[in-house]
Amino acid sequence: MLKCRCGATSPCETTNHDSLQERCPMAKKIMVVDDDPVIVKYIVTLLQDNGYATCSAANGLEAYHMLKDERPDLIALDLEMPEEWGTKFYRRLTKDEKFSSIPVVVISGLPGRHLSIKKAVGYLAKPFEPGQLLDLIKKTIGP
Amino acid sequence: MSEKILLVDDEKGIRKVLGISLSDSGYQVLTAESGEEALHLFRDHNPSIVLSDIRMPGMDGIELLRRIKAESPDTEIIMFSGHGDMDLAIQSLKYEAADFILKPVQDDALYVALKRVHERISVRQQLREYTQDLERLVREKSERLVATERLAAQQYQRLAQRYQQLFDEVPCYISVHDKDLRLTAANRRFQEDFGHHTGSYCYTVYKHRHAACPNCPVIQTFEDGQSHYNEATVTSKSGDEYNVLSWTAPIHNEAGQVTQVMEMSTNVTQVRKLQSHLTSLGLLIGSISHGIKGLLTALDGGMYLVNSGFSKGDKHQIQEGWETVNLIVGRIRKMVLDILYYARERELQWEHIAVLTFADQVAATVEPKIRAHGIQFVRDIDQSLGTIALDATVVHSALLNILDNAIEACIEDKSKPSHTITFGVKQDDTAILFHVHDNGIGMDKETQAKLFTLFFSSKGQKGTGLGLFIANQIIRQHGGSIKVQSERGEGSRFVIKIPRLPSTKDSALAPQQTIPPTTDASALTSR
Repeated sequence: MLKCRCGATSPCETTNHDSLQERCPMAKKIMVVDDDPVIVKYIVTLLQDNGYATCSAANGLEAYHMLKDERPDLIALDLEMPEEWGTKFYRRLTKDEKFSSIPVVVISGLPGRHLSIKKAVGYLAKPFEPGQLLDLIKKTIGP
Repeated sequence: MSEKILLVDDEKGIRKVLGISLSDSGYQVLTAESGEEALHLFRDHNPSIVLSDIRMPGMDGIELLRRIKAESPDTEIIMFSGHGDMDLAIQSLKYEAADFILKPVQDDALYVALKRVHERISVRQQLREYTQDLERLVREKSERLVATERLAAQQYQRLAQRYQQLFDEVPCYISVHDKDLRLTAANRRFQEDFGHHTGSYCYTVYKHRHAACPNCPVIQTFEDGQSHYNEATVTSKSGDEYNVLSWTAPIHNEAGQVTQVMEMSTNVTQVRKLQSHLTSLGLLIGSISHGIKGLLTALDGGMYLVNSGFSKGDKHQIQEGWETVNLIVGRIRKMVLDILYYARERELQWEHIAVLTFADQVAATVEPKIRAHGIQFVRDIDQSLGTIALDATVVHSALLNILDNAIEACIEDKSKPSHTITFGVKQDDTAILFHVHDNGIGMDKETQAKLFTLFFSSKGQKGTGLGLFIANQIIRQHGGSIKVQSERGEGSRFVIKIPRLPSTKDSALAPQQTIPPTTDASALTSR
């Protein structure tokens, strides 16, 4: 059984905002992909406040290259990024055997857009309540 | 009054006897004893019948006959003479004597001759009357014919005028094309908008082309004799582009061949403008709703950072959250203002203003914002620029949109240690040229091509895609243009050219011109 440095067997409350590496190893890691830095900051802070580890990328290409090192437990993906990077990234992700099992929560401002992302475990329409995103993530990968 | 008869004989006895006999028969008898006297009497009294002896001293009967017949061919002359004068008798008949009686003159013979003469006179009279009737009839008929013809000509002319009037006044363009696609006729409306061009090729006149247009309905009608229709964009003689809906109809000759084709076109520019305005409003609503959702999410984010910062006592995060809220509120304000501008139908408020004052105002408005981002601001404004006619409020906001764009381009560019925005104002013979130069991130060709497109934004969530579209609309509405030169990584140069005086069609004379009048494909891309 995985144990935190602090000895806890469930994700501990101890978080270090400055270093993701210092975070409880029990914590689940979520990758936030959005081209708007304001929204990235928002979601990252929200998730960290609730005990999740995070990493973030501003476009699909950057996110794809980060997958190998970061190995996130879930990806929160903004579908509307410049040059169609939202859908492009999703396609690459699902075609890659190593990563296709990672659950994806799609965030979109265009109604009906998520319908093209059939395998997404969840769909959030902008604007969303912080609780909605947390519930969806908790339901999918646990706290 | 009884009929006059002239009796000529040199023998007194005969004159007497015959005179009595004729008087008894009801004639008014004139007698002469010689040809000369007879001629005098004839001229004075104009008798219808003359009885004359042939052999007389002096002027004989033959000579008298000839003279009278020469003067009055209708006078009937009966000659008489003795036996053995057959030659004279024949001669007298040759000179158109009515009859010849042998002497001594028997009453019976005389009356038979007179009866025949009367018949001749009567027949001639009838003939004359008949001829006169006929002539009158012919004259009357001719007159009636001439009158009818004149009436028909008038009616024809009226009809022709009426058709010409209809042709000219029909509220659409009508043109007639021959097989070579040359115009053979055009109605007044057509000529008003496209000029007088009979004999010119239709595609030159309203398409400014050098060859027939693809899918030409006129050619199709020449080919199959059917009516065809299409929709096209044409250019008027004043350079305006119209959307027209055209129908064609064949014109046949007597042999049933299509010799010409008539084209009837309706100007549907206003309809199309309205349509594209509605379409772009639809797009606008979609784009706005997407944009607003993004902004609301970001606003939620800012507020979350503030709230979470308070609960954690994290001052830094509170500050960061509050800055986010400020930023997003600023974006929302700009978006709402852009939308309000777009949605509002606005007439230009023309005024003559000093270019220098106007340029200084624009520079003063934008300078603090530029400096706040650590960007250098250079004014390069000519000092003797004179005046210009424009709507200061909207041109001000158009220039600010372009300057904002320059600021964004500098902020986004991380490759250079410092950035400069130059606002220049120059002039040429007819126009004022506003220059906006930046050494920011620059644009690739693709971005440049879409720059003035409605809802195109290279700024992701930050742009509404309205700013440069509206700027372009405003400058075009002033009869001006925007030119862009840009190189990715090097920066951009915008040149906004506005004529000093409005062209007539955009001037205050036509104040119904409103923003945004055009959203058709050509207006959406920069020219």
